[in-house]
Amino acid sequence: MQVNQTKSQFVAVASIAAELSAVMEVAKEISLAAANAKAIAFRAGEKAKGFQPITDFINELAKDTIELVNNINEYAFHLYRLTVNEQRMTEACRRFEKVGQLAVGARYADSLNAPLQQVRQRNQVCHREFIIQVSELLIKLADVMHPARAARVIAANSRIEASQAGEYLQSLQAVAESVDNAAQIINDKVHKCRSALTIINVAE
Amino acid sequence: MRMTKIYEGAYQWIMLGRDEHKPEKIIDTNQYMVRTANRCLLIDPGGIELFAPMLAAVLHHAPVEEITDLFASHQDPDIISSLGLWDQALPNAKLHASALWEGFLRHFGCETIEYVPIPDHGGVINLGSTELQIVPAHYLHASANFHIYDPHAKILMSGDVGAALEAPAMPVFVENFDMHVEKMRYFHQRWMPSNQAKRAWIDRVRKLDIDILAPQHGRMFKGDDVKRFLDWFEALQVGIAV
Repeated sequence: MQVNQTKSQFVAVASIAAELSAVMEVAKEISLAAANAKAIAFRAGEKAKGFQPITDFINELAKDTIELVNNINEYAFHLYRLTVNEQRMTEACRRFEKVGQLAVGARYADSLNAPLQQVRQRNQVCHREFIIQVSELLIKLADVMHPARAARVIAANSRIEASQAGEYLQSLQAVAESVDNAAQIINDKVHKCRSALTIINVAE
Repeated sequence: MRMTKIYEGAYQWIMLGRDEHKPEKIIDTNQYMVRTANRCLLIDPGGIELFAPMLAAVLHHAPVEEITDLFASHQDPDIISSLGLWDQALPNAKLHASALWEGFLRHFGCETIEYVPIPDHGGVINLGSTELQIVPAHYLHASANFHIYDPHAKILMSGDVGAALEAPAMPVFVENFDMHVEKMRYFHQRWMPSNQAKRAWIDRVRKLDIDILAPQHGRMFKGDDVKRFLDWFEALQVGIAV
């Protein structure tokens, strides 16, 4: 286990936490856009009849995304704890090996062999668990991509429905744009998370 | 790392320090070991940079499974930032340190080692065949601070009290007290915040029978130099930064 590897794990896990935080904010924006759209559609009445069920659907997508991100955050935190433990054990291995070099000829030098073996084993177990968690997190992140993709389709439908809403056209088109942009941002952020994790996997 | 036996009886006191491979910019420290027949106490075991030479030196005297007790006089990194490594190395150890610092010291990593919190009034460390006293030394310099007194060996491990800053490889004992004073003055005036705390400590320590006063930096004091130090410290105004 190299020190640089745990450093890159720290960077990757920190990046994921930052990107997930941004995804959460964007999902909340979608939720707000849905509420706004619902109010406009209500005022527009018959002219925006086709738009009303879409607003509910947008809101559901936002809720799903928030729930998924909350769930993923727990994985990210667990990955962080694993990285801290692994870093500590990597450091312990390095320092114990140094003790071995300095303690040549010491009466009780061999007594360090057992702790050194244990630390090496714990380090390996910890790293294996990290890799498993990364794989599971990649799957979870793929799940977040689904509502984001669905949101883009809904945004396209919303534009069509907005075109029939008379004087509410501009307001509803703005809602559609907002949802579309938010979905694109989520897509990009999640993609960045996946890239950060993939780099760790490739490093393996 | 240099090892100096400072007491030999039914058990031993060994001072460890003057590590010639110490990185230049970290402060030099004295570590102490009390070795009984089957137990070993490390007093202020040192910073993370010192862990390897320190443990390598200890392995000349005790196997890791017999290093059963660690003591941290306070929370500073030069005292105990190696804790996370001892935590991985020692299968059956306790850390004796202030209750006040527990939440802070655990930042260094303390999962295997049992944390034994010391209350403000002090306590004892029982090593089976001998028992050491934990003497309060609060505000000298940390807000929760303890020293170790061994009534049999007549040694007081005095933490930062008695410390001096001087060139590496200095002798382990003070040889000329008057010349040594200037190496201690600024350290005590600047790092010790309270004249009141200083007086309380001196009153307490004057009642102890001490042959060796063993600080965590610099040289140890023995014989008449112990009293000379107490007199000098008593007269010194500390807390000069405000």
